[in-house]
Amino acid sequence: MKKFLIAAAALSVFGFSAAQAETTVRVHYAHPNLWKNVQEKIAQGFMAENPGIKIVLDAPAKTYAEGAQELLRGAVAKKLPDIAYVGLNRWRILEARKLTVALDPLIGDPAKFEAMGYTPALRSLGQYKGKQYAVAASASTLVIYVNPDLVKKAGGSMENFPRDFDGLIALATKISALGPNIDGVWVAAHDWRFQSMLGSYGGRPMNEDETAITFDSPAGISAATLYSRFSKEAGMKKYGGNEARQAFAAGVLGIYIDSSSYLTRMVEGAGDRFKVTVEPFIVAAKDKSSVYFPTGGSAIVMFTKDKAKQEAAWKYMLYATGPEGAKLVVENSGYAPTNAIVLKDKKYLGDFYAKNENSRRAHAQVAAYSGPWYAYPGSEGVAVTDLIGAALVEIVEGADPAAKMKALADTVRGKLNMK
Amino acid sequence: MVGRRRIREALTDLLLAGPATLAMLVLIFAPALIVGVLSFTDYLFGAPDFNWVGFENYRKLFTDETGRRAVVNTLIYVAVVMPFSIMLSLAAAVGIQSVGRWNVWLANFLRTAYFLPVAATLVAMATVWQMLLHPNLGLVNQVLALVNLPGQEWLSDRSLVLFTLAVIGIWETVGYNLILFLAGLATIPQSLYDAAEIDGANRGWEKFWTVTWPMLGPTTLFVLVVTATRSFRVFETVATLTNGGPGFASDVLVFAMYREGFVYFKAGYSGAITMVFFFFILTLTLTQLRIVERKVHYQ
Repeated sequence: MKKFLIAAAALSVFGFSAAQAETTVRVHYAHPNLWKNVQEKIAQGFMAENPGIKIVLDAPAKTYAEGAQELLRGAVAKKLPDIAYVGLNRWRILEARKLTVALDPLIGDPAKFEAMGYTPALRSLGQYKGKQYAVAASASTLVIYVNPDLVKKAGGSMENFPRDFDGLIALATKISALGPNIDGVWVAAHDWRFQSMLGSYGGRPMNEDETAITFDSPAGISAATLYSRFSKEAGMKKYGGNEARQAFAAGVLGIYIDSSSYLTRMVEGAGDRFKVTVEPFIVAAKDKSSVYFPTGGSAIVMFTKDKAKQEAAWKYMLYATGPEGAKLVVENSGYAPTNAIVLKDKKYLGDFYAKNENSRRAHAQVAAYSGPWYAYPGSEGVAVTDLIGAALVEIVEGADPAAKMKALADTVRGKLNMK
Repeated sequence: MVGRRRIREALTDLLLAGPATLAMLVLIFAPALIVGVLSFTDYLFGAPDFNWVGFENYRKLFTDETGRRAVVNTLIYVAVVMPFSIMLSLAAAVGIQSVGRWNVWLANFLRTAYFLPVAATLVAMATVWQMLLHPNLGLVNQVLALVNLPGQEWLSDRSLVLFTLAVIGIWETVGYNLILFLAGLATIPQSLYDAAEIDGANRGWEKFWTVTWPMLGPTTLFVLVVTATRSFRVFETVATLTNGGPGFASDVLVFAMYREGFVYFKAGYSGAITMVFFFFILTLTLTQLRIVERKVHYQ
């Protein structure tokens, strides 16, 4: 009996410690002001369910851009974490350097994966050339923030908020006419915003296999013309994002078009001055199936090549992007969920959406129209996005949209060696 | 005996200067050398390998529109900030010094007020500038409206933004230069002014041209060098206020260096910009020291 007890004790101690020390998964993330709480809650929730796996959160990077730098430095120093949260437009940088692990063997049966809430639209955010390298963890698309007071003053109403660009520009023009310091509309001269308008017209920046630039198509010229019309007809100012948010919060900008992830900040900024209202972005194309909105946010990629660690890390990725993780993300960050189950099953976020009509609208748009945020391939890939921004600035200042987009497309083709 | 002492002295010298020299070699010269080597490659940050491309990065910097604009913008910025910040700080220094003769308290107050922008964090101050210059809400445009002048988009008008940044740059450097000039003024012996007066230089301007200005020669040279290097290094205001935009209108060398290296990950090209920047600063400092120094020494 004694012997048995000792053996049992020894066994349990041994078994316990073995389970404790089994696997450690190191996780990198960025934007601590947005993510710290969420990350800690996800890690704690996961470890409570999986006592054999220990999650270690690395000290977070300040932004996704700095996070990407840190990971590249880590690759040079051979100190990469096992998995990392990266910007949805940045995981390709890591993939191009062959640092990320293809996840298809871990996913196994695609039908089963889809049943877990990973729809084709959501999967597309982390796919390249038919392989899955990243799993989206939070999402945002372009939405319209409206100051209902200014809309009313200009003779419009939120019930009849315009659902096409002509109506939107007409409304913005009226708001702009309210006073010398009142602005109608603002949107950044920026690659992602432009890609969203392009997608609204059913266009794409590149062809399917990324060998040709296609943003000088009729859809692209229509999208660029919007910038020109915002400026010429509705008197859009040229200020930057910070100034626009300040103006909107102060109640002197009627319509602010930007990422849905700004929602919390915009509502806080406006305070009691007015009730910030989110409208879904405008779908311009007649063929709705061609429309998509490039999706910002984050995705998780895997670096570890160790089989045991891969298993544990994959378990964690599924937990963090599954209904439990998605619920935490939505409740704490202002981002939209990247798991279809939480949108369908009311038991996860039903209460939250009942209280947050703005979030519900923004998130419904992600579920309906999310598509990849195209990152241009190659060493000049990031640089050309700034060239696109610069061309849009010129269009806002009065350059001819069609001519400018054609010239820009040619410049970009030259830089990227494309057709 | 003498030899032994020499050795001991040499060892002491080594002990005193050694650590700093070593740190400089390891932390400045070695990385600079590596950056120099990288500037002849197409190395992408984090990439497994790279190719030698010779002078391609340098050719691109001076022929590519974006690169050339960063070089030209930097030169314009320096050309505006240098003369204005030196002239303004000299005028303020002479003024504050004469204020000091009848009211020490006021002179101290002015000196502190001028020095505040130097002591304050430029990034935090940049945020204040952003608010002041806001096209709708900013104080600057509201004051202009009061006197019926049209408001400007100070930070988003492409033809204006570089000069707005230059004004902020002047605001930032004047206080620093002022302290240097005040120190210079304090070293001018009163006897020289007395002598000038005996020789008939009674009016302020005459005293300034015959005594103050020549005696401030070494200080002015130092201020020139410091202002030039400081304005060549302009970065914080660009990074916080404009990000080099709109449409690269306020792109400058150091910001381009940062953007290419840390946003675009083009370590090779960024290295080439760094080398050009080094070269600018080095030539500037050497010419100023070589040519100007000969004319400003009196002792």
